[in-house]
Amino acid sequence: MDILKYIELVFSDYTLRTITLGTAILGAATGMLGSFAVLRKQSLLGDAISHAALPGIALAFLITGAKDSNVLLLGALISGLIGTFWIRGIITKTHIKSDTALGLILSLFFGFGMLLLTFIQKQPNANQAGLDKYLFGQAATLVEKDVWVMALVTGICLIVLLLFWKEFKILLFDADFTKTLGFNTKTIDVLITTFIVLAIVLGLQTVGVVLMSAMLLAPAAAARQWTNSLGKMVFLAAVFGALSGVFGTAVSATQNNLSTGPVIVIIASVFVLVSFVFSPSRGLLFKQIRFIKNRRDLKLNKTLAFMYHIAKTHDNIAHPHTTKILNNFQGFTKGTLQKLVHKNYVTLDGNMWSLTKEGFNAASSLYNQQQSNE
Amino acid sequence: MLLQAYIINNKVMSNAQIEIQIIASIAAIACAIPGTFLVLRKMAMISDAISHSILPGIVIGFFITQDLNSPLLILLAAVTGIITVILVEYIQKTGLVKEDTAIGLVFPALFSMGVIMIAKNANDVHLDVDAVLLGELAFAPFDRLVVSNIDLGPKSLWVIGSILILSIGLLFAFFKELKVSTFDTGLAASLGFSPAILHYGLMSISSVTTVGAFDAVGAILVVALMIAPAATAYLLTNNLKRMLLYAVGFGVFSAISGYWVAHWLDASIAGSITTMLGIIFLLVYLFAPNKGIIAVLYREKQQRTEVSLLTFLLHLKNHTEERERNVNHLNEHINWQKVRSKTVLDLAFKNNMIVIKNKIVSLTDKGDAFTTKAIDYIITNKDTQIEYMKDDFFLFRG
Repeated sequence: MDILKYIELVFSDYTLRTITLGTAILGAATGMLGSFAVLRKQSLLGDAISHAALPGIALAFLITGAKDSNVLLLGALISGLIGTFWIRGIITKTHIKSDTALGLILSLFFGFGMLLLTFIQKQPNANQAGLDKYLFGQAATLVEKDVWVMALVTGICLIVLLLFWKEFKILLFDADFTKTLGFNTKTIDVLITTFIVLAIVLGLQTVGVVLMSAMLLAPAAAARQWTNSLGKMVFLAAVFGALSGVFGTAVSATQNNLSTGPVIVIIASVFVLVSFVFSPSRGLLFKQIRFIKNRRDLKLNKTLAFMYHIAKTHDNIAHPHTTKILNNFQGFTKGTLQKLVHKNYVTLDGNMWSLTKEGFNAASSLYNQQQSNE
Repeated sequence: MLLQAYIINNKVMSNAQIEIQIIASIAAIACAIPGTFLVLRKMAMISDAISHSILPGIVIGFFITQDLNSPLLILLAAVTGIITVILVEYIQKTGLVKEDTAIGLVFPALFSMGVIMIAKNANDVHLDVDAVLLGELAFAPFDRLVVSNIDLGPKSLWVIGSILILSIGLLFAFFKELKVSTFDTGLAASLGFSPAILHYGLMSISSVTTVGAFDAVGAILVVALMIAPAATAYLLTNNLKRMLLYAVGFGVFSAISGYWVAHWLDASIAGSITTMLGIIFLLVYLFAPNKGIIAVLYREKQQRTEVSLLTFLLHLKNHTEERERNVNHLNEHINWQKVRSKTVLDLAFKNNMIVIKNKIVSLTDKGDAFTTKAIDYIITNKDTQIEYMKDDFFLFRG
């Protein structure tokens, strides 16, 4: 199927349009809020929360017997919040470290959730066919109503984020300072954590419990590589998240047997990989290029300094020397010599080289420059 | 009770039931050993990452061998686990993201690849993601190891049993090295134990255990069996050997009790073992003698009273004039609630620190000496002084 046809189909086909819109909104919301999770060093909290939401879904079903996704998500929200605050309690009140607390709540809640799910499956009135989808997510089950709920929640998140932007930002970078300024840090903290839980819960139906954490992390981690400004990062993360959703849906819709969740995660991971490698300021590629360039400059300067020390011993600085004496020196290569000639620091005459006036001055101020740099 | 009830009901447990419990218990022991060290080394989430990211390794191994219990598959999956660790460490080293983000990025990507691989070959692969996540303990006894027509028991029992023997052997051989490097990496390195070898050794054992236990009990239960018993034991003791023993005990107990709960509810065995682990952790978290939440809250309350007492005594010592030491005045001056002032006063009385005459509170000799000592400590702030202070505080508590 070619791309144009697919795009046409997105606008004409109800299911495809709903799913694309849903995953895009979801990606934007998780990207936005994920930025905060990543910067607060709570990356794995998302993983714990999404797993902790499972028993909530099962319990909500057991209690109400309803398959309405909003009721189930409410259960997920409550149990996600309980998990989050229990993790907090463990970290602050006992000497168990945060990683253990996260892993503990994650596995215990999830195990309990699985117990409940298998228990529900054995029930006689089990119209439970819908619950399994929360494990890996089934974007195909999204209906227009779900998308509206997502859009609504994302809208509220956005409004609150804009309203309390200053508070969120300051809490993120200097919590102690925030406290001294008289902000109620606890409330801000609870607010942002609640929104993170909310975003995760929203994604459960689409991406599933197991992979939800990647939706939170990957767009934010990718966005982090391109900017140092929080505003830009949140925006970029939202864009990356939305794009992962759209592309992921496109790939899984055009292939057989591919569930949307894993594909979206793979696409988001590709965004991360590309950002890691190609980001101009932090990326690995440009870092390596800069590293090589610096090493070349250093070699050039080393050659120049070596020449300077030889030339210094002669009355006439332009006194020619053979290139042979440079050979036992590490910094020397044919290339560096050519570069020095190009810079007009050195003149070459067959096998003989001599420093120019300019080169001599540059070399003599080489050390001074370095000192002034320090 | 439950167990007895069932024995009475069914007269005897069937062979398969006993075998399931043995497999679960051995898996619990095999997980508790590396788990204890992972918890102490603050690497608990690595086990979560490994348990997810070995999926592509298992899938590829399964394509090749067509047998979930083949050693080659276990080896391949374990290699994937180690690759995960190396990848996470590489990303951390680039400094582009924080440590935990690196973990969170790597394992969902690998897990997704595994899921997609399964989905794309769904027709010719008898492997399903639910089974990988949850395991199928109930079916474990039916996949038997038969050598020249002799039934040697379930395959997964052999797999997890040999992993357990391996890790117990390594534990005894390298206990000292593991202990030192866990608590003091610098010392271990200076003594000549390579931290890298120990680190990757532990990671390899964790990966192998995860893979081995995984087929029987599933990815999630592996993580729970590694972390939960160790964390629960950590709340009860500070001794490494005891912690290992407790962790093994908790693991086995929840494996067996979890099996019977599952039997009773007719639900997932893995899920109910995890739930038992959760219940045990919750109980210990609440009631552990020193580190449980109730003990901690009680201690915090005690300390608050003790600090209040100190403030109160200092106030008395500072003011020789009777007006400042009048009972009514004290109430409004220090601005405590009635109840709290009463607790503090009672405590002071019990320790013979104060006397009240005509509504005037004054320090006794003992109280005076104590307050002087306290001031001395506050001014000089030397550690030697605080040791005596601590003894004095314990007096109050008794």
